[in-house]
Amino acid sequence: MPRRVTYEVGLIGHEEAKQGVEGTEQSLTVEVEDGDATPWARDTKFAYVGTDVTRLDGAVKATGAAKYTYDIQPQGLCFAGLVYAPHAHADVVSVDVAAAKALPGVLAVRSFAAATATYPGKIVAAVCAESETVLSDALAAVRVVYAVKPGPAVTEDAMRAGAPVVDPRRQTNVSGPRRGPTMRGKPDDALAAADVAVSATYRTPVQTHSCLEPHGCMCHVHEDGTATVWASTQATAFFANGRFTRALGVPRNKVRVITHHMGGGFGSKFSADEWDVLCAEFAQETKRPVRMLLDRRMEHLVGGNRPDSIQEMALAGTKDGIFQVLKGQTWGTSGNSSGGGAGAANFMVYDLPNLSMTQHGVATFSAKGRAFRAPRHPQGFFALESIIDAYAYKAGIDALAVRMKNDKHPIRQAQWRIGAERIGWTKHRHAVPGSDKGTIKRGTGCAAGRWAQAGRHMVGRSPLVFEFVVDKDGGVAVQNAVQDIGTGTRTLIAVLAAEELGLKPHDIDVRIGDTRYPPGPGSGGSTTAPSIGAAVRNGALRVKESLGGLLALQWGVDEAQLTWKGAVCHGPGDEKATFAKACALLGEDGLRVRGSRRRNFDAAYRETAGCQFARVAVDTETGVIEVEKVVAVHDCGVIVDSLTARSQVNGGVIQGISYALFEEKRTDRSLGDMVNPTFDTYRIMGIEDCPEIDVVLTSVVSGYSNTGMMGLGEPATVPTAGAVANAVYNAIGVQVTELPMTPARVLEALERRQK
Amino acid sequence: MKAFRFVRPSNGREAADLLASTKNALVHAGGVDLLDRMKERVDEPDVLVSLCDAKGLDQIRVEEDGGIWIGARVTLAQLADEATCRRFLPTLSEAAGLAASPQLRHRATVGGNLAQHTRCGYYRHASFPCLKRGGDSCPVRAEGGVQDTAGIFGNRDCASAHPSSLAPVFGSLDAEIVVRDAKGERLVPFAGFWANPAKGRASDTRLRPGEVIEGVRIPPRDTKQFVGYAEIRQKKAFDWALVSCAVRYETDGEKVTSASVWFGSLAPVPMRSVAAEEALVGTVCSDKSAAEAGARTMASATPLAGSKYKVALGKVALKRALAAARERA
Repeated sequence: MPRRVTYEVGLIGHEEAKQGVEGTEQSLTVEVEDGDATPWARDTKFAYVGTDVTRLDGAVKATGAAKYTYDIQPQGLCFAGLVYAPHAHADVVSVDVAAAKALPGVLAVRSFAAATATYPGKIVAAVCAESETVLSDALAAVRVVYAVKPGPAVTEDAMRAGAPVVDPRRQTNVSGPRRGPTMRGKPDDALAAADVAVSATYRTPVQTHSCLEPHGCMCHVHEDGTATVWASTQATAFFANGRFTRALGVPRNKVRVITHHMGGGFGSKFSADEWDVLCAEFAQETKRPVRMLLDRRMEHLVGGNRPDSIQEMALAGTKDGIFQVLKGQTWGTSGNSSGGGAGAANFMVYDLPNLSMTQHGVATFSAKGRAFRAPRHPQGFFALESIIDAYAYKAGIDALAVRMKNDKHPIRQAQWRIGAERIGWTKHRHAVPGSDKGTIKRGTGCAAGRWAQAGRHMVGRSPLVFEFVVDKDGGVAVQNAVQDIGTGTRTLIAVLAAEELGLKPHDIDVRIGDTRYPPGPGSGGSTTAPSIGAAVRNGALRVKESLGGLLALQWGVDEAQLTWKGAVCHGPGDEKATFAKACALLGEDGLRVRGSRRRNFDAAYRETAGCQFARVAVDTETGVIEVEKVVAVHDCGVIVDSLTARSQVNGGVIQGISYALFEEKRTDRSLGDMVNPTFDTYRIMGIEDCPEIDVVLTSVVSGYSNTGMMGLGEPATVPTAGAVANAVYNAIGVQVTELPMTPARVLEALERRQK
Repeated sequence: MKAFRFVRPSNGREAADLLASTKNALVHAGGVDLLDRMKERVDEPDVLVSLCDAKGLDQIRVEEDGGIWIGARVTLAQLADEATCRRFLPTLSEAAGLAASPQLRHRATVGGNLAQHTRCGYYRHASFPCLKRGGDSCPVRAEGGVQDTAGIFGNRDCASAHPSSLAPVFGSLDAEIVVRDAKGERLVPFAGFWANPAKGRASDTRLRPGEVIEGVRIPPRDTKQFVGYAEIRQKKAFDWALVSCAVRYETDGEKVTSASVWFGSLAPVPMRSVAAEEALVGTVCSDKSAAEAGARTMASATPLAGSKYKVALGKVALKRALAAARERA
């Protein structure tokens, strides 16, 4: 029987945030299913949740003891590699693999002569060899003849009338517009009638995922007809798809996928890719363990990217700063697929009575884009937040005040104030942009962010289940196939289990990243933590119920009379037993119980809020930008481990600054291939460029599940580029409308200002 | 990477002998640049003659005449950290300390830094056409070419830009390259060490097959030297300079009597600016004379559309290098 629970939700953490903010605290009534723990409320007292807990795997990662896919090298390991097209568009006339096949040590070769290559990185041949040296020679010995055709590889070229089309069934590379729910009111009328109107075109680059650990796997088909696959994947549960297991020649239930540690995914590693399928084929054919990992150039070419964008924006409002209309048109490429594109989600933060967002996808002769940490958001928020600053200056109103007037989210209202205080907004923000004196000009800017993920109760078609294994000595292991993408999933599970059982987080043995355990969710969409959190609680609850049953039997009392305080179970009288003592009753068999994730409640806080403030110093002679400080204020529902949560935000800010200042896939527009597919030429922010990052977490009971958790990975990178761009605008008095803000672009903007 | 034989002579002479008697051999020191090229199969040597065991080549020493000899295998970290270099060659120390990352600085060597090939993405990836690799023309210059790292001088045939930030410093100090072959050792004046791009010529130096850089010699000076270095780049670490500039000048107590001005990353080889030197001589070194020297240097620049910004950066780098020289004095 579901039970009805009424409890308080809203802000719990952060005294600073609560001051002067009203309306975040609400009473919520939910139907709690059997087997689902009673929701944590605003007044719940925690032992570990919300505190700083160090990573369970911190030491093994720091020492190098942690094993990644590359490190798994069974005896007899063979090596597979790829020959790929360097052209945007070409017919593959012939692929001659005879010389490669003839090399001693070459075990298997595949070629794909009939293919048309429609992007650089398209696989035309694959080789499996006994050593990496032989593999390299064999790959070099493959002779491919291409008939190169014209094929626009960048968005602007693909948009031109008469440009060769990627999809021969279509007349043009431009798809859309998609309007749907992004149209309301009378935008054109509102624009014409408004007091203050601004417009500009913003551009963002193609950003590659650049995971330090490349895509790929190591397949080992065993003599008993089972297989073990070590993969760098964000979803152990979904990696071994139909194509992959067929290639492996092993039924899915006999394929074990392991991802104990991974070196980054960011949305690009959800399922077995074509190179993984080739690796599986080789493993089946050679009957030996085979490893296939992409090289760095392939990582940049096909390992995933964030679509670029061209965003024409117009914003208008009253002279006292109330937005009346946002009108935008966007184009962006998701490579050789018709979908994707810029797709900004930026209109969802501010009240906009009139709105028109028209979004186009543009197909180009380049590899497909992939989901990338907050798909559509960083680019969309860069443009939106930039045009807001242009509007604020024109209206002569403080840009922060404008934002607070048009943003109705009660949590973000608090966050704006906290951020402004911490960055020193009133002191450092120039009312007149560019008014700082000297060669090095400083400026301050801010931007909003949003996300809305509360997790799911299913893993594909299976329920999301956590298994607890408890032995008679009190040892607790928690098992689920979920992988730790690097965010601290392993540690988060330990904190939640320990909290519920009254134990210490580092005493919990967390066994994850292995499909021999119950299925776990993919690490994506910032859904992982909120999905698994409530299931961990429910599993731990099962443990307490089971132990309680044994104690009740021993004490001759009713189970319902038992209460747990931390790790101690109390009976109705003076009976009491510690967790360890209760476990002693288990006997040799120990205990094995499962808790499952239940459906989300109808929550009070559907969106997580966030905002960031940046202070920059711009060298106006060289155009070099230094970000000196970022204040990042975020909520992600209930904070479980504040150390790993802050680490997530640090990562989001760093990736966001890197996007704002450095990262850009550079493609030769005639030849169609990327010219900077290495880490010394594709710039990524390094440690020396990191500013002081001040992370403020506002903990909120969202009401979505028994934990109230929500996702944090993606929202942390949403506002960054916009905040940095606005700080640059504030510093130099002119907008740099294209990311990354390189010295060349900054100098060009300054020149424009002087004219 | 193609399989290769790795030989480890115990000194420079043995290395030169091995090079003379071995077909398709290349010299290895730190391997930072060489291994990248080999992995891309831009180079496919059968033999690497490594200097890793060559005695004495990892040393910096002051010679009897006060000149300073720097072995080819001296690392950038040594240049940055060792007292001799810091004291007598501060601009070299500074440039080395800014280069790459701490790990790379401990691996990368002086010889390798001078002999490294261009980092141009077209040159580095065999699938692109490239004049240096035997192609008919430079695709960077062609329509659609990515030009932001391109040179703005001497770029008619090839738009590559020499990446070494030590080179302009060595140039400004009138360094001589100590080159050895089987017949013996010779000193090559710095300006004469470089070769402009040509069809099929991958190397930017005039080193001939069988020759190895054994070291670099900085001549002694008996008068007060003003030296300065500046580089402009996007990232604070692990990045290539967009422009680097090293200067050295002498004064009569007030006015500049002689000057040496060298730039990196502006041309296919390290670039001396005689125009800047002439502009400085006879003036009191100041931001004003620096601006004039910068303007005169850039008067003959031929930037591509995508590398125009380097004109401004070059002027700033010169101004800052001169200001650094004044400050150090």
